[in-house]
Amino acid sequence: MTSKYFGHLQTRGLNKLGDVIIPGEGIFPSFSSTGFASQVDRMLDYMYEDDREGLTLLMTLFAFMPSFFIRWIVLLSEKNAIFPDLIGAPLRMIQLGLKGLILTLYYSNIEDSQKLGRKIMEGIKWQTGVAPLEGDVTNVERSKCTTSWKNPSSEETVTVFERSKAAEREISSLTVSQRLKYITALKKLILDEKEKIVDLIQKDTGKGRSDALFSEIFGILDHLTFLEKESIKALKDETVKTPIALMGKKSQLFYEGLGTILIISPWNYPFYQAIVPLTVSFVAGNATIYKPSEFTPLEGLVEDLLFRAGFKEDWVQIVYGDGKTGASLIDQRPDKIFFTGSVATGKKIMAKASEQLIPVELELGGKDPLIVFEDANIDRAVAGALWGSLTNTGQSCTSVERVYVQESVFEKFKAKMVEKAKTIKQEIDKDGDSDIGSMTTESQVKIVKSHLDDALSKGAVLLTGNDWNGSDKMIPPLVFENINSQMKICKEETFGPILPLYSFIDEQDAIHMANDSEFGLSASVWTADKSRAIRVSRKIKTGNVSINNVMLTEGNPYLPFGGVKNSGIGRYKGVHGLRSFCNMKSILIDGNSGKIEANWFPYTKRKYELFSGMTEGLFGGGILNFIKFLIYGLKLESYSDKVGKKGRV
Amino acid sequence: MHHKIFDVVIVGAGISGSFLAKELCQAGLSVLCLEAGKNFNRHNYPKKEIDANSQLYWGGGIELNTTADIGILRPKVVGGGSVVNQALLDRFDDIALDSWKNKSKIDWMSTTQMEPWYKSALEEVKVEEIPTEFRNGNADIFIKGFEANGFKCAPLKRAQNNCAYEKGSDCIECLSGCIRDSKQSMGVTVLPKALNSGLELVSEFEAEKIEKVSGHIRVHGTDKFGDKRIFRSKKLVLAAGAIGNSKLLLQSQFKNNNIGKGFYTHPQFMSLGLYEHEIHSEKGPFQAMKSDDPDFRVRSFKLENVFGPPVAVGMLLPGIASKHLSYMKRITHMACVEVAIRDQNPGTISLARNGRLKIVKTLDERDQTTFNNGLSAIHDIFNSTGVKEIVDGNFKIGLHLMGGLAIGKDSNSSVVNENFSLHEDPDIFAADSSIFPDAPGINPSLTIMALAKKAASSIKESIL
Repeated sequence: MTSKYFGHLQTRGLNKLGDVIIPGEGIFPSFSSTGFASQVDRMLDYMYEDDREGLTLLMTLFAFMPSFFIRWIVLLSEKNAIFPDLIGAPLRMIQLGLKGLILTLYYSNIEDSQKLGRKIMEGIKWQTGVAPLEGDVTNVERSKCTTSWKNPSSEETVTVFERSKAAEREISSLTVSQRLKYITALKKLILDEKEKIVDLIQKDTGKGRSDALFSEIFGILDHLTFLEKESIKALKDETVKTPIALMGKKSQLFYEGLGTILIISPWNYPFYQAIVPLTVSFVAGNATIYKPSEFTPLEGLVEDLLFRAGFKEDWVQIVYGDGKTGASLIDQRPDKIFFTGSVATGKKIMAKASEQLIPVELELGGKDPLIVFEDANIDRAVAGALWGSLTNTGQSCTSVERVYVQESVFEKFKAKMVEKAKTIKQEIDKDGDSDIGSMTTESQVKIVKSHLDDALSKGAVLLTGNDWNGSDKMIPPLVFENINSQMKICKEETFGPILPLYSFIDEQDAIHMANDSEFGLSASVWTADKSRAIRVSRKIKTGNVSINNVMLTEGNPYLPFGGVKNSGIGRYKGVHGLRSFCNMKSILIDGNSGKIEANWFPYTKRKYELFSGMTEGLFGGGILNFIKFLIYGLKLESYSDKVGKKGRV
Repeated sequence: MHHKIFDVVIVGAGISGSFLAKELCQAGLSVLCLEAGKNFNRHNYPKKEIDANSQLYWGGGIELNTTADIGILRPKVVGGGSVVNQALLDRFDDIALDSWKNKSKIDWMSTTQMEPWYKSALEEVKVEEIPTEFRNGNADIFIKGFEANGFKCAPLKRAQNNCAYEKGSDCIECLSGCIRDSKQSMGVTVLPKALNSGLELVSEFEAEKIEKVSGHIRVHGTDKFGDKRIFRSKKLVLAAGAIGNSKLLLQSQFKNNNIGKGFYTHPQFMSLGLYEHEIHSEKGPFQAMKSDDPDFRVRSFKLENVFGPPVAVGMLLPGIASKHLSYMKRITHMACVEVAIRDQNPGTISLARNGRLKIVKTLDERDQTTFNNGLSAIHDIFNSTGVKEIVDGNFKIGLHLMGGLAIGKDSNSSVVNENFSLHEDPDIFAADSSIFPDAPGINPSLTIMALAKKAASSIKESIL
């Protein structure tokens, strides 16, 4: 599946050869069914180039050859001893090469999700080990190929970065299309194993099954497809214009990896927030250190998938731990920090990063407004607002947390909303038959409770969810009205299933209310009047606006994502996002002539006059000035060359 | 940063390089050791066979002679052979050293004159005899077979310490580095001492060319990132083994016609005996016994009680599909004995036109006879212990790689002189297995250590 050297064809050839040597029998799986072909670079990487090329050629041939013919070749190579060296020697090389490839992959106890590697060892009853030294807890972890660390000591974080430095070199030497092979393999794995992955996401987060599938799995696959389609174009060397004054030279942009990217992710979309940034980082040419949230580590999942997709050890290292671990990683000076999470933590990270001038990209919280004008389709707007507020049980940075409805339709909207909110099905389901699941963390439940109490004490009216006991993680939809600007629920990010309804008078009023916030992540505008929608979208200070829809800019991987104000710094996703993980290197190419440039020394009175004339000509405009530019330019060039070579006279 | 001129640059951090590094650093010299392989430790040795073969040997696991009937296992790792071998330490006997003296005309080649150097070498490593109670089923068959046929065998001495057999340690795992640091590889013995005395070690650097410019030696090569780099020194020690040293000198266009000549490998051949009952050759100290038979010695072969992990065993077995699998299913029923011959017919190491190594190594009639004698002794052992079926391995292996820079007084027949420097250049030294004038027929590790000790004194003298 993923090999720097073997494409689709050669992998097919390898599997055909494998099934000739190991067709499978009883408890022993056939070679091709193990999927170990994907690990072939663990051998190919270390072979001499011409041996590797020879094997590549053979595998290409095997891809087209009928299996009985491959079988015949292998059996012939087994009989090498009866031939003289002229034929015997190449036959032995073939035997050693082919059997070596297959048996090494088959009998190396390769770790895989189906545990086939281990089953083969059990099948031949091979069981060896070495007693660990006193104090060594286990030596199982280090057999993993993708590196992961748990609460590393400060000494170990140094090692993490040393390994990352070496990985940087490997990754930067891969072309974008080579990197994409790993992305394709990863995508296939995620697609094949989506149900298992959803199980694990549910286990760590308590979210509904459909939530996990729609927002995490689908979103990732969509994003990986974007990378497959667009990265090569987005990251290829770009030639830009060179002004006439620099005639004869060429200007280019190279998009290169920055080095090592530290990704610190939140707990709300633990799988999405792992795979999306780390694949962007990788495709852009970086080594990555990924620290998941300690609340939703999805332990073992990401490294297993990356490993099986063929990612090499240290290309992406996963570091489990809390905020202290994150801080010790920052101390090692990654080349960029990509953080998604709360405003409070974002500020701390930026402060710490500033000590070493580490660039940061911060994807922080929001208090996103949804604006419904009187001409909007009310049923659609109600359904949209309901989903926008409640998806992932409201634990999304772009959750709708302020619903502004024009006063003429407010009562109608409210009635429908209350009715709909009561039909929400809430369960940590096994079959997808649930709208929302539970809250993920206890601390977030407490915040929701405090916002609720604060609102009620200041006069808000709770229209649904009165039966919530204030501590259960299963928080039902909480629809409010009578919200005022003194309430926390109006200003601070709640990050729970809340639906505060506000009414507004007109367009200006709506814009004013929407902008009256410290946040600016996303917004939505619902109206039949397209020009009003565009007008309002331009006026709202925010990073993303969906018109007659909600949270949909994130649904298009071609659109960059990010916020303004307290919602963060920077953009990721889309071509802009991909490039934001790059060092955009400017290149100006001139010829290796003997010419001395006009702007170099020596500066003389004569050169000043000529340069002045040339400048007037160039920027003065009009045909006469252009002629002046040409005349002065040519004179300047020949004078500069002369005076440059002979020196000041 | 690297414009420093070292007193000594050592190419290769195997047994010879590590021993020399320790001696020279402790004498206060500034020493840089360059090693093509990676610097692993007990926490990160590649433990899967696929990774171990790829990452610990040249060529991704194996290299071949031109006739592709000897698989050459050439370690590529900091610690060299001491990481991947079975750490068997034996002195050379009169037969071996007399033959060397005869070839080289060098006086100190005798058991008595070598003894102080052997002693000094043995001070650096802990050596144990495999305790009787932990011998496995394969050793039992070896012993019984020897008794039944009137052959003599002896327990092995191995450079090891605290292997915890009582806790179920299986040494076969340590063929890719010992995770307990029990095996006395260079990384747990002399290398730390060298590093403490100021050794600079650069791993994953492949030396490609040496040259002399204005009295200094320059070593050119490629680092792990593919960047070309140059290191400079006053003296150079070649410690990259028979093949590595020969290749480097040939690539650097040294003139001596003997470079690469006289290449020996103690060709080894594993034979498997399938038994009705389980043998579990893979368990415990998998290699516990050796032949100790004067008749074998005279007939130039020895037998060893060995085994290999699944991929290695699989490669020795004939057949594919169900035939192959029927053998693999009985892997725990296999006993294994290996014959290693004291090869007489020298091979040659040269460079092919494309720059790749060309290793010519064949068995002449005499070697073939020796080999057949050894093999028939193995069959006798299996047959006298109730074997059901004997499977002779598919190919020979060469892992004692010796010669190419033969030591001797006469520059017309050797490359290195009795002071361990090249006849061609007194500032370039070699003391590892590449200087062996012929095949001793005895495991070379201990003698490599002893020669390193002796060479170190010679090099120190030349500088101080």
